Amino acid sequence: MSKTLIHAVGLKKHYQLTKSNAVHALRGVSIDVQEGDFSAIIGPSGCGKSTLLHILGLLDKPDEGEYTLDGIDVMKMKNGDANIIRAKKLGFIFQGFNLIPTLTAKENVMQAGKYGGMSMKQRKARAEELLNLMGLQDRMDHKPNELSGGQQQRVAIARALVNRPAIILADEPTGELDSATSLEIIELLKKLNRENNQTFLMVTHNMEVANACKKTIQLKDGLNA
Amino acid sequence: MMEIFRNMFRRKGRTILTVTGIAVGIFAFTVMGSMALRFNKMISGGKRFITGQITLMPKGTDFATGTGGALLPLDVLMRVAKVDGVQAVGASVEIALKEIDPDDPIGGASFGVPPTIEGMDLASSYENRNWKTMDMKAGRMLAKDDADTNIAVGYTIAADNDLEVGDKFKIRGKDFDVVGIVDQTLTGPDQYVFMPLKSARELLIASNPFLKSLKERSDEVASISDADLAKLPEATRQQLLQAKSFKLEDVTQMAAVSWEDGQDPDVVSNRIKDQFKDEVLVLSPTKLGETIDKASAVFNAVILGSAVIALIVGGFSIINTMIMSISERKREIGIKKAIGASNRSVATDFTLEAGVIGIVGGLIGLGIGTLAIVLINHKTAQSGAEIFLLSPTFMISVVLFSFVLGIIAGVLPAVRASRMNVVDAIREL
Repeated sequence: MSKTLIHAVGLKKHYQLTKSNAVHALRGVSIDVQEGDFSAIIGPSGCGKSTLLHILGLLDKPDEGEYTLDGIDVMKMKNGDANIIRAKKLGFIFQGFNLIPTLTAKENVMQAGKYGGMSMKQRKARAEELLNLMGLQDRMDHKPNELSGGQQQRVAIARALVNRPAIILADEPTGELDSATSLEIIELLKKLNRENNQTFLMVTHNMEVANACKKTIQLKDGLNA
Repeated sequence: MMEIFRNMFRRKGRTILTVTGIAVGIFAFTVMGSMALRFNKMISGGKRFITGQITLMPKGTDFATGTGGALLPLDVLMRVAKVDGVQAVGASVEIALKEIDPDDPIGGASFGVPPTIEGMDLASSYENRNWKTMDMKAGRMLAKDDADTNIAVGYTIAADNDLEVGDKFKIRGKDFDVVGIVDQTLTGPDQYVFMPLKSARELLIASNPFLKSLKERSDEVASISDADLAKLPEATRQQLLQAKSFKLEDVTQMAAVSWEDGQDPDVVSNRIKDQFKDEVLVLSPTKLGETIDKASAVFNAVILGSAVIALIVGGFSIINTMIMSISERKREIGIKKAIGASNRSVATDFTLEAGVIGIVGGLIGLGIGTLAIVLINHKTAQSGAEIFLLSPTFMISVVLFSFVLGIIAGVLPAVRASRMNVVDAIREL
């Protein structure tokens, strides 16, 4: 049996908008992710998909529930440690191509390595290796605004891979791409999953993407459907 | 580091405006600070000198304005020298180096001491307590029994008139021999011509119509032999004898008193005051020192106050710029934090960016300020004293200060940026 990377039970989260108006984004969601999984969280808008991903990615805290990430009890973790775990165990791919506009493709990838504690030399080598793997060997010194949407998303994937994360969390990774490029990106992610046993957990409402996944977790109204 | 510069020039116009704001503040700080440094140097030299002696002025003279022009007769000085605790009394005469131009009686305004002839009482054993000897750049200082035509000149006088030891220097129509050049003091003596008292007295008398006529009468009488005098009628003879009583030695404008070792100068000056209050004004070192301190404190407060205002304005413009650029880059901060940046690393990046804005503005302001100072000093050096004193320590502190100003102005917005909620920051677009 493969290793459990994410084990979360009964996650609850509400947002207090005004004194009398609260949104219950999660009402008790449970989720397990095994090493090597290629899974998607799906569901209609407002079902709590993104909130769940943010909690699993340590960007937000649940009100209640249990959450263990790669053997670490996240609920008992100190506040200041979240960024170290984010840097070393997690990779993020966002919907927009969230690259830093003033940095080149290579520098964007290297920056994540810096937060993961790599030396300058290691970062440089790792960034070049990953950008080669993404087929961007000719675009390394280009700024994001000189790259196409697909190319930008490949840089973001390279950035997510830098610190050899246990799991990569992707929030609508193809959300802003045309369908041909979307397929290309999904194929790339699948290849990384197949060849490197890289674990992926993504949020999507695109059925094509969901169908490409080995496993889907369906949410409805803040609960497992 | 490169990222900081790239971020700064994302909004070129805004960064340039902010940098300009800092540069203007630092420019004001550099110029005014250098002026204050120069002023303080001059004041402290003057203070050191004036607190090393008890100053005597004839009654009828106003210390602050120097008006009145009264004289101290020799016999008063001789009596003061006998007061308990007094070591010696040195008489002195001070007159402007150049005769006043009848076409321009007011003359140009100058910063500090104008070129002055300082008559030295070489016969007296008087010495200023704080300023016993002067360092010489060349030659020697005047000494006892020096020839009446020998002079020592201050640093600026030598520079302005191209004087070397051995040169002749014409003062008010008379030739003098330069025997020494005093090293730069950045205070009064730079503008002095030191001259034996007798020669200075003669120049003073020549410049004063009243004293001049007295002297002429006296000389006239001196030329009449006693035998001839005896032949004159009684009334005329009396008149001439009175004229003869005019003595060069009675022409003294000011005197300095030194006290014996172990004596309290304030006690000695009070003693002199008690005995001679009808004849002289006594200025005690302590009192004069306090007066000088007060004047320079006010001057410094005005100068530094205005510079500080300029800097506060600059500081606020950095804060404003940083708050603006942080709210523009909210999403970017969110991403950095999502991929593992710690709060501290986000805060450090922004703080350094503000520090760099500060230091760039500081360097520009310092550069322009230094240029202005060098140009103005060059110009004023020809017509008197230099107004500014550029000290390397001060310049280095100005640059450090501008960096620290940036850091202080940047730290608050930066900390705010680092505490930003990641989820909110990422959603923002």
